[in-house]
Amino acid sequence: MRLASEERGFLKRLDMNLILVVLCLNLIGLINLYSATHGSATTVHMRLFWQQFVWLGLGWGVYFFMTLMDFNYWKKLCWLFYAANILALLAVPFIGKSFYGAKRWLDLGFFKYQPSETMKLALVLVIASLLSHKSIRHRLRLKDLIFPGLLLAIPFLLIVKQPDLGTSLLTLMIPGSLLIIVQPKKSILTSAIILAIIAGPIAWKFGLKSYQKNRVLNFLSPERDPRGTGYNSIQSKIAVGGGQIFGKGFMKGTQSQLEFIPERHSDFIFSVLSEEHGMLGSLITLVIFFALFLIGFNIAANAPNIFGSLVAAGSISLIFWHMFVNIGMVIGIMPVVGVPLPLLSYGGSSLLTTMMALGLISSVSYRRNIF
Amino acid sequence: MSNVLKQEKLDVKYYSKRFKYYYLFLAFVFLLISGRLLFLQVIKGDQFRQFSDNNRIKKTKLFAPRGLILDRENRVLVKNQSVHSAIIIPQYAKELKKTITSISEFLDINIEDTLTKIKKNRRKNGTFRPVIIKNSLNFSELSYVRRVRRNYPGLDIQSSLVREYPLKDVSAHIFGYVGRANKSELNKAAKNNLNLQLGDSIGKNGLEKLWDETVRGSSGLSYVEVDARGRETAQKTSEFLKIHKIDAEPGKSLVLTLDKDIQEAAYKAFNRDDKIGYRRGSVVAMKANGEILAFANSPSFDPNLFSFGISNKVWNGLRNDKHKPLRNRAIQDHYPPGSTFKPLMALIALEKNIIKEYTPIKSPGLIRFGKRNYHDHNRGGHGVINVKTALEKSSNVFFYKMGISLGIDNIFNYSKLFNLGSRTGIDIPSENPGILPSREWKKKLLKEPWQPGENLNTAIGQGFTRTTLLQMVNAYNTIGQEGLLYKPFIVKAVTGHKNKTLKSFEPKLIRDIKQDPNFSISQKNFDIVKRGMKKVVHGEKGTAKWYKLKEVTMAGKTGTAQVRRFSSNQIYKKCENRPYKQRHHGWFIAFAPAENPEIAVGVIAEHSCHGSSGAAPIVRDIVDAYFKKYHPELYPIEKETEPSRKLSTL
Repeated sequence: MRLASEERGFLKRLDMNLILVVLCLNLIGLINLYSATHGSATTVHMRLFWQQFVWLGLGWGVYFFMTLMDFNYWKKLCWLFYAANILALLAVPFIGKSFYGAKRWLDLGFFKYQPSETMKLALVLVIASLLSHKSIRHRLRLKDLIFPGLLLAIPFLLIVKQPDLGTSLLTLMIPGSLLIIVQPKKSILTSAIILAIIAGPIAWKFGLKSYQKNRVLNFLSPERDPRGTGYNSIQSKIAVGGGQIFGKGFMKGTQSQLEFIPERHSDFIFSVLSEEHGMLGSLITLVIFFALFLIGFNIAANAPNIFGSLVAAGSISLIFWHMFVNIGMVIGIMPVVGVPLPLLSYGGSSLLTTMMALGLISSVSYRRNIF
Repeated sequence: MSNVLKQEKLDVKYYSKRFKYYYLFLAFVFLLISGRLLFLQVIKGDQFRQFSDNNRIKKTKLFAPRGLILDRENRVLVKNQSVHSAIIIPQYAKELKKTITSISEFLDINIEDTLTKIKKNRRKNGTFRPVIIKNSLNFSELSYVRRVRRNYPGLDIQSSLVREYPLKDVSAHIFGYVGRANKSELNKAAKNNLNLQLGDSIGKNGLEKLWDETVRGSSGLSYVEVDARGRETAQKTSEFLKIHKIDAEPGKSLVLTLDKDIQEAAYKAFNRDDKIGYRRGSVVAMKANGEILAFANSPSFDPNLFSFGISNKVWNGLRNDKHKPLRNRAIQDHYPPGSTFKPLMALIALEKNIIKEYTPIKSPGLIRFGKRNYHDHNRGGHGVINVKTALEKSSNVFFYKMGISLGIDNIFNYSKLFNLGSRTGIDIPSENPGILPSREWKKKLLKEPWQPGENLNTAIGQGFTRTTLLQMVNAYNTIGQEGLLYKPFIVKAVTGHKNKTLKSFEPKLIRDIKQDPNFSISQKNFDIVKRGMKKVVHGEKGTAKWYKLKEVTMAGKTGTAQVRRFSSNQIYKKCENRPYKQRHHGWFIAFAPAENPEIAVGVIAEHSCHGSSGAAPIVRDIVDAYFKKYHPELYPIEKETEPSRKLSTL
């Protein structure tokens, strides 16, 4: 491997398309975040804009560190990473910070760390590591899935308890996406579907907190409670729809600037973009996102080994699912859950995790031609 | 090693065929999101833009100040006062209970009642309609709400203008009052395309009602950008909103012919320090050309009570008051004119040559006509007298005889020229036309022919005849002006911005009775009657001789109108001993100066028993007030000699 890296120059081996697309999204994110934090009302948020620069700097540092570090090291390292994350998640209920009635954060002094964010990446790595050992050309049997399922269940339950419905579902979706590459037996798929149908109502009755049930119900019909939990969804749709084709203009989004949109700098950042830049701005952003996904999956498809392929596909799925759930929530096709929009929302944990995931993809790409 | 790597790469190649599912799913999600964006931003875009505008734009009504009402010297009689109320906009009040609880102590409001009120309003009018939780805040309450409203979303101050009548009860019946527009008024305004909205004030009576469209103005609308908590955004309201602002158009002002000083003197004169004391009734003073100088009723009410929305208790109190303070007696109530009708009888008799100026007529204490006795107020009669003496002493028998000779047709035809029996047309609403009886009138109404005996009662103003005070003052003014009948009016001009006169009203001469083709009365006869009327005040035996003024001559006539028929043994019973409601009304109407009058003043003092003592002193006070103000030269400056004189008598 070392031989190979010396064969060609560092810059040439870097995936420039990937970097360019990510930079584009960074730029869009900064412009948008500026608008979201420099509106009429409060000066508290302005600080966040400048903090985001620090996170971006750190994020790119992580990106290049991950790029240069051979992703194959993570086959072993991932266990340490996973264990650290589990410990952090376990610590949350005891020493964590609560916001909006949920305990999701650990206060590290300089920033509030959300272990559930990095946990998703850790899961991608451990599942990829496990499944890559089964890299035989036949479908997975049930016993191949037991251990990965266990690894999944622990953080899932911990996050559900925080409570964080959105993130906990994402912890299932993201590693689950890998099952398209390494497919389980058809009988397992069928029984999983049947199980889901049976378990669904039971989980609804016993597993979900009442506010979570409300969110789902309000997603199905936001007008149920326009002042309460349906408020965010309705206001967000009004913001997006009111943007029309060309938008209301930079810093001129009334819904966002006048605080009708809660959490406009984090979870609802896309509604700011849609309102101020209209369908045009939204579609451009969307196209860039999908360009990123295509690049990501292409790298996965051309990875030097199964582990690399799974890491890249898992990492890009991580970003994809976040984007889909977040934008889906903003435009009213998904329930309101606390999931950030990668690269656009303010937030250190999310940005660092995303940049780390991108760094892993980049690392896979960096080593794609090694034989 | 290289082989293993190659093998793994081949594995990936094998798996990578499965990536097509990823690409398919990506395409699906991309289409889903863009489709949804298309739906929200293009198909429903206009609608959502509308929603977002509604969200952020708070419409604030700009109240148009009602026009002022000024007196003839541009002194303010009616104005607007700005009041501030504490309001809650339920839409923005997130912690309603907490808010109300924390402000209740300072504002002195009941927590439960206020919450119920807000809930009721929210159900009825939606969440954006403000609910007033405390009306007319005082200064400390206002600054308190200003200070704390930032902490309590939804709490705000609403300022509005409230009608203020500084003269209070002095001239309530002229101005009327304002109140919130009711449903039928709103419908009517909508039909006529007028800008009148729920919550607007509208004139309910008097000039406020009659001139409502002129005085009201038109309210405007301003748009303010608010944030999610309903707070106005400090900066820029966009150009768009500025352009769409509708300015309130202030109401136009009315300048009246009224003189505030005379009006106050007139109202004050009802409350005298004499045997009768406080009088109920009305007073009208007008200039020779029909301009109303003073117009007051007693008892009265304070129109300010209506400005904040009158409570049912107060309203019912006013309505059920047995002395009827809400009635505009001077034009709404008609009374038998009594002896005040006699100057007209004298004019008609002279004109019809029944008598001449000095024709002596025997006027004993009673006269028998048909099967009835007709009495004089003086049991002994007045001896042989001419027309001027008959007026001076107010002989009944003299005028009974005139009535017998003239007959109802003459009385009717000539009296009609003085506008008795029809509205004077004054620009104050709810005027009563009164009754001027005639043969046809009686036949139509009572289905009976006219009886000759009724001529006698009619001749002394006690028959079917009913007149309002204003009609009589107007008729007397016509006598004073020797036949010139003017239309009484009170609004002199309508003024707009910066006192610019938009419309002015000139005196209107209705007719000159001297020139009437059928029933003219000659100059000479007016002169005779005016001289007779002067003797009422200035003659030795004048019925109002105690109420003359040194400085100004007056000509007039007293009237003591019986409110019911008394049997003959009751006629001379002392009026003061009768129950209040059976006592006579006292009239006095005069013009001054007697020869060349400038003003006519009339008073009816209900149940005051005598025209002279009941009504004449009030008239004298008003005439005095007028001439003191407008002709001070008539009043020699009295040197302060009185104290020294007093000393010398010691």
